[in-house]
Amino acid sequence: MDMIYLIFLIFLSGAVISWLAGKVNHVLQDILFLASVIVPSVLFYMNVSVGQEVHFKAGGIDLSWGITDFGWIFSLIVLGLGVLAAIYSVGFMKGKERRGYFYFNYVLSIMSMLGILFSKDFVSFFIFWEIMTWSSYLMVIYNGKHTQSIGIKYFIFSAIGAYAMLMAIVISHSVTGNFMIADLITAYPVLSFNLQLLIPILLLVGFGVKAALMPLHVWAPGAYSNSPMAYTSVFSGALSKMGVYGLSIVMLSMISHLPEGFWFREVLAWMGAITAAIGTLWAVKQDDAKKLLAYSSVAQLGYIVTGIAIGTELSILAGLFLAVMHAIFKSTLFMAVGAIERQTGTTNFTEVTGLIRKMPWTFLASLMSIIALAGIPPLGGFVGKWMLYESLITSDHYMLIILVFFSSTAAFLYCYKFLFGFFLGQEEKEWAHVKEAPVLMVIPMLVLAGLSFVLGTFPGLILKPIDAGMQALGFAPTNQHLWDTSILFNSWGNQVALQPILYAILGIFVVFTIFLTIKGYKNTRYVTTKDISSSGEVPKEHENLTFSINFFQPFMRAVEPVMRRQIDKYYNGFANGLEALFDFTRKIYTGNGQTYAIYVILFLIIMLLIKNNVFG
Amino acid sequence: MVGTPVLLVVIPLLAAFLIPLLGMIWKELVRIIPGLVLLYMFILSATLLNQVLHTGPIVEVIAGWRPPLGINLVFSPFSGFLVTLMTFIGLMVWIYSYRFKQNVDFEPAKKYFILLMMLVTGSVGIVLTGDIFNLFVFIEIVGISAYALTAFYTERNSAEAAFKYLFMGALASTFLLLAIMIIYTQLGTLNMADIASKMPEMNTTYKITALVFLLTAIGIEAEMFPLNGWAADAYTESPGPIGAAFAGIVAKAGVYAMVRIIFTMFDVDGTMQFMLYIGLITLIVAETTALRQDRLKRMLAYSSIGQMGLIMVAFGIGTAEGVFAALFLMFNHAIIKPLLFFSGSYLVYNSKDKFIHETNGMGKHIPITSILFALGAFAIVGLPPFAGFWSKLSILTAAADENMIIIIALILIVSIIELVYYLRVVNRIYFFKMAEGVEPKKPTLNALFVMVTLGVIILLVGFYPDAITGVLHKASGDLLDKTKYIQDVLLLNP
Repeated sequence: MDMIYLIFLIFLSGAVISWLAGKVNHVLQDILFLASVIVPSVLFYMNVSVGQEVHFKAGGIDLSWGITDFGWIFSLIVLGLGVLAAIYSVGFMKGKERRGYFYFNYVLSIMSMLGILFSKDFVSFFIFWEIMTWSSYLMVIYNGKHTQSIGIKYFIFSAIGAYAMLMAIVISHSVTGNFMIADLITAYPVLSFNLQLLIPILLLVGFGVKAALMPLHVWAPGAYSNSPMAYTSVFSGALSKMGVYGLSIVMLSMISHLPEGFWFREVLAWMGAITAAIGTLWAVKQDDAKKLLAYSSVAQLGYIVTGIAIGTELSILAGLFLAVMHAIFKSTLFMAVGAIERQTGTTNFTEVTGLIRKMPWTFLASLMSIIALAGIPPLGGFVGKWMLYESLITSDHYMLIILVFFSSTAAFLYCYKFLFGFFLGQEEKEWAHVKEAPVLMVIPMLVLAGLSFVLGTFPGLILKPIDAGMQALGFAPTNQHLWDTSILFNSWGNQVALQPILYAILGIFVVFTIFLTIKGYKNTRYVTTKDISSSGEVPKEHENLTFSINFFQPFMRAVEPVMRRQIDKYYNGFANGLEALFDFTRKIYTGNGQTYAIYVILFLIIMLLIKNNVFG
Repeated sequence: MVGTPVLLVVIPLLAAFLIPLLGMIWKELVRIIPGLVLLYMFILSATLLNQVLHTGPIVEVIAGWRPPLGINLVFSPFSGFLVTLMTFIGLMVWIYSYRFKQNVDFEPAKKYFILLMMLVTGSVGIVLTGDIFNLFVFIEIVGISAYALTAFYTERNSAEAAFKYLFMGALASTFLLLAIMIIYTQLGTLNMADIASKMPEMNTTYKITALVFLLTAIGIEAEMFPLNGWAADAYTESPGPIGAAFAGIVAKAGVYAMVRIIFTMFDVDGTMQFMLYIGLITLIVAETTALRQDRLKRMLAYSSIGQMGLIMVAFGIGTAEGVFAALFLMFNHAIIKPLLFFSGSYLVYNSKDKFIHETNGMGKHIPITSILFALGAFAIVGLPPFAGFWSKLSILTAAADENMIIIIALILIVSIIELVYYLRVVNRIYFFKMAEGVEPKKPTLNALFVMVTLGVIILLVGFYPDAITGVLHKASGDLLDKTKYIQDVLLLNP
């Protein structure tokens, strides 16, 4: 049996077994769960090489699986994150109910995402896509809250996306005669103009939903914050990247052949930038860390989409690099929130404060991820953002860069809020008992934080595979030394020249801190939180000193007009209107036998009257 | 050789008449005999189907009168496939209701099984017969037993539902008879193949009038909009397994009759478009109505009507792929909808009004039933990797090949509606708190067996669609080959 089949078989049986094993023993269940994620991942990297393919038939349809260079980059996100978050999940799920359910859906999600990357034909692509959708849906409703609102909304949007995609798939089948993705790409340049427009638009709707692209993003904040955090790290980190994966394939291998592709790219880039701006603003407004990160994910995905949509080598590189980085730092942050939630029971900034001493490792991981998110060197976000700005400048998108720059700057606000709200500020008695999260949860966070440091410092590590992937998609060959194309490194000579300077600065900073600490240590006097005086008054015990509440009020007041129009309201209005309409059609069935008989007679009479027009 | 097609009609009919007599000997026989009969029928039809797939249709002549004079039965890949499916569902219904009726008195049990036997007889007869008047007779047999089964609980509501059904059924019979009269006066024959071969000679006005009457009559049976008012009531008020039988057996027979008329007997332009559009309207109206239901069985009933509409759309596409998709849909619907009815009736077992909100929290108490309901719900809306996906894919592919982009879009939009109301129920089952005073009813062993079997088939077809597509391709090829049908019947060598 081919290794590829074996990988999927292990995933599938692992999902079922790790569900059922809960009936026997919980430790066994955890081990089986970890095995069913880790074993296939190891097998994948050991035994599956790029270009290897398997073919088979199902229902008379030719299917084919194999990994491409482009898919390989995403497999790093999916499996890397999948394994780390799986380890985290074991810690996270300890003592919780419905573990089997969680593990089952978790493994299926990872399997389906890998399956998407493997699919060379649309049918298996769609099948995996839908497995991904429903397994993530089941995760969204895991805790049983808001199932009918957030859960159903997520599924409706996913279904809209998936069905748009399905429509594109069957249309492309009617054109090419089979379901191969490659055949559609080959046939695309010679299609009729209508189809050339229709197919990418439908596909973009499908992928745009998962990539949380405005105006299809409304499901994301709710779904991200409602699912268990151990899964949200995968949800936001890897699952949303499947949308990016599809989007990049459409943009790179279809739209680039379209003479009118320019407008496509412009519109999509603007949508991405607007998503980024709106997402950032909403993130700043949130008082709940889950919601904040969820909106922040939407915003970050906006950058990624913008980068891919611009369509120059550098911008795509930037977009994909940001995708990898986002997967790393955002999942770390979600994990940190999960750890905090587990230890304190809440994720609200206005309630939890001053955790820095209680959860130092979580703080460290969060700090590094926040730095990466904010785009401060030497962590990963910086390189990606720099490349994105540069690509926007070099491709003359000045208006766009203002928007992106605005949201990127505004992101500092919520970054600060996150760090301050949870970890800094006044220590309250209520949280005195809080301890660091279990080691199984801390290690994945630290590993990921370390990764964002490594990749930020040596971006070439991941830029090279991305470059290979882009070439595999038939994109224009990029420069050999990708980092040369960035102004940052050019003006400083090259990467080698830059790093010493960066590290010299960092080193001085570290030495200085150590020096200060040692020097100051002797004179240290520990103070309690209330041991201060403000305007000559000593605060009382019950007074709240933290300014987590109503953070950034003036800023929010300034941007309030932009945020007043929520697209969500329009959707809800539309849905309510539809339900009312359906209530009207329901009344066709009156429940009265006479009415039904009249329907029959009327139908007959009308048919007899128009029979010559209908049948001929 | 296990038997001939005629036994498929004779045996259950005979059993229906013998059940009361045998019941006098030993009361348990009333329950056992139908099962044996159905099992035999299933084995027989499966064997015959296997045979006709390789050798071609079996045409059976009754009493030595050769067509076009005598009545004949045609066991072709298409009709054989349907008969196998129906007898299988019949068997499942029997297994499910075997113990279900154990605590019921002898009298109701006797009636129940007699009526079930007649229902199966009629439905199988509709599919097998090659004679249009014989078709009428079988439709009447189905009708009579179905009315009685709808009123089985002898309550006000079920009586009302049965009356509505009866009322509509009577209209259907009248129109059907009228259409048969028109055809007979014009062509002087009642044999379907003969009618088909002589159809070009028929005066167009008569032809179209007859077609309209036929479509109206059969449309009532096949749950076509706006003639399907009876259906939801009948599904809701009849006993749970009978709802499954209506969806899996009776509705299929109705669609078969319609398809036979449109594809084989008549050659009128525009019937395909008519079927396509009326199917689409049926689909949209039924699914939107289902969204706003607050009773579980009623919701399932409207969903079932919607599926029948979708099947009509698939037939209306008219190409080989379309027919293939339609048969696939019929198969899936015949497997999945009974599963939903079976498990659904346990979810609201002890409730009087069968409200959807009474399923709240059942997932904890009757886990297997709940998960099978969820599986059925996921499968019927066409989520991969379950069976429903492949049929949905094939109907969309068929429509795309004919450039029916608007129709694809409509089907998909309706699918989203379908998704919403099924998910609402599934969410309730698993994530809502059970109301006080609700007593979950544990399914019997037989019921579990049936539900698990159907669930396994859903998964099997989902993961390995080739298990069924081969038969479906042959069956659809058989349906589309009108000339061969006429030849097989009329040029029959004695």
